[in-house]
Amino acid sequence: MNKMQKALAELSEMDELAARQSPIHALHPAAKLIATIAYILVTLSFDKYDLNGIVPMVLWPILLFQISGVEVRTCFYKLRIVLPLVMAVGLFNPFFDKEIMLRVGGLAISGGVISMITLMLKGVFCLMASFLLMATTRIDNLCAALRKMRVPSMLVTLLLLTYRYVGVMTEELAIMTDAYHLRAPGQKGIQISAWGSFLGQLLLRSMDRAQELYSSMMLRGYHQHFHYADIKPFKARDGLYVAVCIIVFLLLRYVDVAQLLGGLFVR
Amino acid sequence: MHMADALLAPAVAATMYVASTTAAGVSIHHLKKDDEPQKLPVMAVTSALVFAGQMINYTIPGTGSSGHMCGGMMLSALLGPYAGFLSMIVILAIQCLFFADGGLMALGANVWNMAFYGCFVGYFLIWRPIMGSKWFGEGKSAQRARIIAASVIGCIVTLQLGAFSVVLETSLSGITELPFGAFVALMQPIHLAIGLVEGLITSAVLVFIYESRPELLQGVDLEEGGSAKRSLKSVVAIIAVVALVVGGGLSLLASSNPDGLEWALFGNADGGYSTNMGLDEENFGVESSVADTAGSIQEKTSFLPDYAFPGSESAAGTTVSGIVGSAMVAGVAILICLAGGFFRRKKKTT
Amino acid sequence: MIEFEHVSFAYEKDKYVLEDMSFRIGTGESVGLIGANGAGKSTIMKLLLGLLQGEGRILIDGVEVKRETLHEIRRKLGFVLQNSDNQMFMPTVYEDMIFAPLNYMMSREEADKRVDEVLARLHLEDLKHRYNHKISGGEKRMAAIATILAMDPEVILMDEPTSALDPYNRRIVINTIRELGQTKLITSHDLDMILETCDRVILISNGKIVADGPAEEILSDRELLEANRMELPLSKNCK
Repeated sequence: MNKMQKALAELSEMDELAARQSPIHALHPAAKLIATIAYILVTLSFDKYDLNGIVPMVLWPILLFQISGVEVRTCFYKLRIVLPLVMAVGLFNPFFDKEIMLRVGGLAISGGVISMITLMLKGVFCLMASFLLMATTRIDNLCAALRKMRVPSMLVTLLLLTYRYVGVMTEELAIMTDAYHLRAPGQKGIQISAWGSFLGQLLLRSMDRAQELYSSMMLRGYHQHFHYADIKPFKARDGLYVAVCIIVFLLLRYVDVAQLLGGLFVR
Repeated sequence: MHMADALLAPAVAATMYVASTTAAGVSIHHLKKDDEPQKLPVMAVTSALVFAGQMINYTIPGTGSSGHMCGGMMLSALLGPYAGFLSMIVILAIQCLFFADGGLMALGANVWNMAFYGCFVGYFLIWRPIMGSKWFGEGKSAQRARIIAASVIGCIVTLQLGAFSVVLETSLSGITELPFGAFVALMQPIHLAIGLVEGLITSAVLVFIYESRPELLQGVDLEEGGSAKRSLKSVVAIIAVVALVVGGGLSLLASSNPDGLEWALFGNADGGYSTNMGLDEENFGVESSVADTAGSIQEKTSFLPDYAFPGSESAAGTTVSGIVGSAMVAGVAILICLAGGFFRRKKKTT
Repeated sequence: MIEFEHVSFAYEKDKYVLEDMSFRIGTGESVGLIGANGAGKSTIMKLLLGLLQGEGRILIDGVEVKRETLHEIRRKLGFVLQNSDNQMFMPTVYEDMIFAPLNYMMSREEADKRVDEVLARLHLEDLKHRYNHKISGGEKRMAAIATILAMDPEVILMDEPTSALDPYNRRIVINTIRELGQTKLITSHDLDMILETCDRVILISNGKIVADGPAEEILSDRELLEANRMELPLSKNCK
C-alpha cells in the first residue's frame, strides 16, 4: 500500500465508524459539535501546571467511547500525527523550567516536566474529542447541521463536494504513483524531471472532470442553489445532552475533582 | 505546519478563528459578486487534487530526502486568491476532521498560517505583481522565469510568515518555556528550506500548466508571442543547485549551533509534520522513537539530585492527595471501560 | 420528439465535426447511436443537451434548443454520463437522487417519495444511504441511472452505459434499460447491448450519417460495420 491508499483506508474507516448505530450516533450533529467544542475549549483553558485538574477530563471521552462502541485503538492510531508535534514543543519545557514543584518520595519533579505532561494530555484529550465527533457523525449530516448553524452555503457545499472528490482524486494519484514506481524501481519519490508533469497531468484532466461535473449539475437543474439532505430536528434530548455536557465540563474545570477524591483518603 | 489544539490557549484560538472567518467572509463576498457558477466544481475538484497531491513524495536531487507541497500558492495561482483561500480552508478542515492533522479549535490558526498568507499575501503581493511585471524581459521563456520566480519567492515568503505566526501563537498561548527569540531562530531557517522546496515543486507544476493550458493560470498575460524555449528541466536544475547551496549552508549553521540536541529534535519533528500531512507511517515511527528516547532521557535527568532545590515545594499547590486522586480517576476510567465491555457482551449473548 | 435539422458543428473554424446532419426520433423509440471514436457521437449528445451551440435547428417536443429554452428542455432530458463519478457529485446516493427533483421545485415529501419509488423499481433500496465513494462500479452505474430516473425525464440519453462493467452488472443494466418506457438515445461501442436495447440504429462516421435503420438490419451488415471501424456483434457472429 502506498501513502494514498493508506489515506483512503483511513477515510473509509471513519465512514464506517460514523455509519454505526449507538445512542451517541443518534444525537443531533449540532449538539455533538457544540459539546465537542466546549470540551476542547475547557481542556485548553487549564493552566499549564494544572495536571491534577486536567486528568479528570479524561472521563468524558472514555464514557463516550464506551457508549458509542467506537474502539479507542482507532483513535490512538491517529495520535502519531499530533503527538510528535506537541512533544517537539513540550520537550523544551523541562530544559527551561527547572524549578521543583513536587516531591514524590525522593524524586523531585520540576515544573517543566509537569507542564510537558499537561500539554501532552491536552493534545491527547482534544484529539479524542474531535475523533469521537467524526466517528459518530456522518459528514453529510454534519454539513446539514453546519448549514442550519448559518455557516455560508458556499463553504458547506464546497466541503461536501471536495469530500466526495478527495476519494476519487486520491485513488487516481495512488494508481499513478504505483504506475510510476513500477517503471522506476528503487526510486523513493518522484524525480525532478517529472515534478511538474506528474501532478500537472492529473490537474489538466481534473479540469475536464470539473467541466463535466458542472454539466452534470446544470443538466439536473442546478442554478446557484444547493439542496441538502434534511436532518432530524434538534430535539429536547439533544439540548439536554449539550446542557449536561457543559455543566459537567464546568464542574470539572472549577472543582478540583482529583484533589477532592484524593482528600477522602489522604490527610 | 499544522498546529494541534493543545498548542493554543482558548483566547488565541478564538482570535485566529475570528481573523480567518473574516477573511473567509470577504472571499465568499467576492466570489458571489463574480457570480461564476462553474467555479464551485472547479474548486472542489482542485482542492481534492491538492489534498491528494500533498501526499506525493518528491525526490530532492542529491539529498536522498523528499519534499512535499502544501499548495496555498498553487491554489491561488490556479483559482485566484478568494477561491484558493476557500479551497484551502476545506482541505485543512478535512485533514483536521478525518485525519486528526491539526485540530478543531486550531483550525482558525491553521487557516491563517497556511491559507491566508499563501493565498492573499502570496497572490496580491507576490504572484500578481511579478506576473504583471517585465522581469526577465518578454516572450514565453521570460514568462516561465516569472512563474518560477513568483512561485519560489511566494512560497518562501508565505512559509516564513506562517512559521512566524506559529511561534507567535504558541508563545502567546503560554505553552512553551522556549524563549521567543530561540523559537524564532529555530523555526525560520527550517521553513526557509521547506519553502524553497515547496516553491520549486509549485513552479514545476505551474510551468507545466503554462505550457499546456496557460489560460488556467490567473494573472498570466496570454498575448505574448515568441518562443525561445528554455528547457524547464535546466531552469529547475539551476534553482535546485541554488537550493542545495543554501540548504548546505543552513545545515552547516545548524551543526555549528552549540545546542545541537534542540536543533536535531526540532528539525526532526518539524521535517516530520511538514514532510507529510501525517500519512507516512515510516517517517513517524522513526521520529517518535527519537522523541521518546529524548523524552525519557530528560525525565531521568530532571530527577537527578542536582535539579532538586529543597524548599521550593508545591509551587502550584500540587500535593500527594492530588496524585492519589488522579490515580482514582484512572480507576474510574477503567471501571467505565469494563462496564461498557460487560454491557456489550451481554447484548451480544442475548 | 427529437429533431435534428441540418445541424453542423465545428470546435475550430471550418473543421466540422458534424456536417448538415438531419434525423428524427419519435416518442418512445429506442435508438442506438454508433460510430468509431471521434465520429461525433458525444458532440450530438452535447448539442442536444444545449451544452454546445451549433448551426441548424434542434427541436425537442417542438421546442428549439437555445439559450432561452434551456431550462424547459433540460427538464425533459436525462443524461447518464459515462463516468458515474462525474455524475454523482454528492456524498450519498440519496442526496444525489434528490438533487434534481428539488431543483425542479418539487417539495421535499414528493421528492422523497419519488426517490423511494425509483429505488424500489430498480431494486436498489439498500443503496439509499450509502456513500457514493464506497459503492462498487456496478452499483454506481445503477445509482447514476436511478439519479436520472428520479428526474422523471421524457427522454433518456446514455453515454456508454455498459462500459467497464462485469457481465453480471452489464446484464442488470441492459435489463433495466429494456424496461424503461421513455424515448432513449444510447451511444456505445457495445453493439450486443445496442442490439438488445434498441430497435433502431444510426451509424455515423466523420460527422455524417452513414446508415439509419432497424437495429437488426444494420447490425447484421458485416461489410457496412467493418467499413466503419466496427465488428459484427458477437451474437450475430455466432450464427
